Amino acid sequence: MAEDEVIRLEDVQRVTESALAYLDLDDLLKELLDRVTDILGADTAAVLLVEEDGRTLAARAAKGLEEEVERGFKLPVGRGFAGRIAFTREPVVIEDLNNSPIQPINPLFKEKGVRSLLGVPLVVEGEVIGVLHVGSLTQRDFHDRDIELLQVVANRVALSIERSKLMVQGQIAATLQRSLLPRQLPQVPGLRMAARYLPAAVESAVGGDWYDVIELDNHCLAFVIGDVAGHGMAAATFMGQLRSAIRAYALDTTGAGEVVTKVAEFADRMHSRMATLIYATLNLNTWEVRFARAGHPYPLLIHSDGSTEFLSDTGGPPLGTVGGQIYAEEVLTLSAGETLLFYTDGLIERRGQQLSEGEEALVEVASSAPDEPELKCQAITTRLTEDATIADDIAVLVVQTVGLHEHLEVEVPAEPGQLVTARRLIRRWAEANNASDDDCAAFAIAVSEACANSIEHAYGPGEATIDLHASLVDGVAEVTIRDRGHWREPRGGNRGRGIPIMREFMDDVSIEGSERGTTVNLRRRLREGS
Amino acid sequence: MRPELARLRVERHGETALARIAGEVDSSNVGDLSQRLLAAVPNQARALVLDLSETSYIDSTGISLIFDAAARLRNRRQELRLVVTPRSFVGEVLAAVSMEQSVAIDPALDEALRAVGGERDRL
Repeated sequence: MAEDEVIRLEDVQRVTESALAYLDLDDLLKELLDRVTDILGADTAAVLLVEEDGRTLAARAAKGLEEEVERGFKLPVGRGFAGRIAFTREPVVIEDLNNSPIQPINPLFKEKGVRSLLGVPLVVEGEVIGVLHVGSLTQRDFHDRDIELLQVVANRVALSIERSKLMVQGQIAATLQRSLLPRQLPQVPGLRMAARYLPAAVESAVGGDWYDVIELDNHCLAFVIGDVAGHGMAAATFMGQLRSAIRAYALDTTGAGEVVTKVAEFADRMHSRMATLIYATLNLNTWEVRFARAGHPYPLLIHSDGSTEFLSDTGGPPLGTVGGQIYAEEVLTLSAGETLLFYTDGLIERRGQQLSEGEEALVEVASSAPDEPELKCQAITTRLTEDATIADDIAVLVVQTVGLHEHLEVEVPAEPGQLVTARRLIRRWAEANNASDDDCAAFAIAVSEACANSIEHAYGPGEATIDLHASLVDGVAEVTIRDRGHWREPRGGNRGRGIPIMREFMDDVSIEGSERGTTVNLRRRLREGS
Repeated sequence: MRPELARLRVERHGETALARIAGEVDSSNVGDLSQRLLAAVPNQARALVLDLSETSYIDSTGISLIFDAAARLRNRRQELRLVVTPRSFVGEVLAAVSMEQSVAIDPALDEALRAVGGERDRL
């Protein structure tokens, strides 16, 4: 073979150089067009891409024919020079434009005095996504090696365009996905919550994992964790639809099983992709949990002593797989200091590992991790992902009831609507410490009055909390309610009744006010039985 | 979307308005209850019987509601009677503020209705 029949290695290297990958798409195309015209001794070069409709080619980048891009030149696939290349998927050579059966549509070739043209298709996974062509102002014959080299450049361009498309889509999907996660979890006295979302390591692999916490009527919270199959825009969009559907059903449906059954029906009607889901409600007064599971990994219950169990009694198939499914619900009541862990499969699935190995690893980490939910979340996600790249995205939601034995420590949002929760909580704490009904009722009203005083007198509107601490020493229960506002003496005949009521039900009440807030101390010796 | 802590039901027994509060009364719902309670007593009614036997919790703002209602009704020359189960939690709270010195308290609904004469009118 003659030397000019073979493409030169250094030319190939010039257009496949890996450093080019760091350029953004426009710079990369410009650089490649510069280099290819230089190597081939051509005067013009252009990239046209097939539009979304699959029938139109539009100019994307050009050298020597810059107006082509500026004017937004388009032509139908199948027509003209570039259209023919896209249609036949074969290289096309025009030696002399003045004497060729193939006539370009673009008037620019004539305006610029282009004589000879060579074009090749841009192909990704068997599909034509565009055309790359070079032109010469003087008549010339393009050789096989020119065609081959141009094809090498074309492949490079095709790959970069595809990658950049995926990246843009991935970024949009990631933004959409993140906008659908709760910005902050609700603050509920007696419950501690934490959540994490970890995107997959590959940007284009943004998935459809999500979690949600919904405040329902009747002192219930709903927890949702779900995973839509697949990645990218489509998965993120469907995740958004499911999330909204669940929020809507949650508000007028009481049973967890019923909510999941309705969501499954919704998914069937949408002919949706597959998704897994857990929907759980927690009664804030009784800590009763009801949940239904659609093909989702089992929640993990971590007892206060660190022992664990997967909640695997009931469950149905994933959404979008079996139509007309009715989902049953599982009921349990959380004790003080227990933790419920919801997660998506990315947390426990590792390539080349059994699922049970992932579950074992989770149990080990979950039971040894710190109790505090934020720290627990952090420890679990860090330790389970440290040895592997995250192939799939991960969502984790931790819900924990406060410890009630001897010591209680919670923050109560300073809103009248939270008084009932504060009452329930102090009652539970007293009950857990074998207090009589009278003791429980006494603490309920004294604590509620003290909190109401803080809410009414200490704070203006806005976010603020009251610290509620309770402890038991030698049979005497001592409860402290502390705010960070200024105590104002209650005025008016009817308004000063809170303090006498506290005194009536407690053995001892002390109120200390300072610049930094007010502390109410309540003391009462627990009476045996009643 | 506050959960409903307490439920207020209003009935007419002849010239007496009967209001029953079931559930819990605290500062989160007292304003709403107070408005609805006063709206439930027409001018021509002779008395209001406020039945608290199904009230499981009442705090100082609930107590204020009762004192306020008593004062307003007195101005309108209408009588207020409460129904409170003896030795109940609500009874203890009312006792703590000596409610019985300002408002008549009956241990059962029929006694309260008899006292205001509602029973007779109904028959």
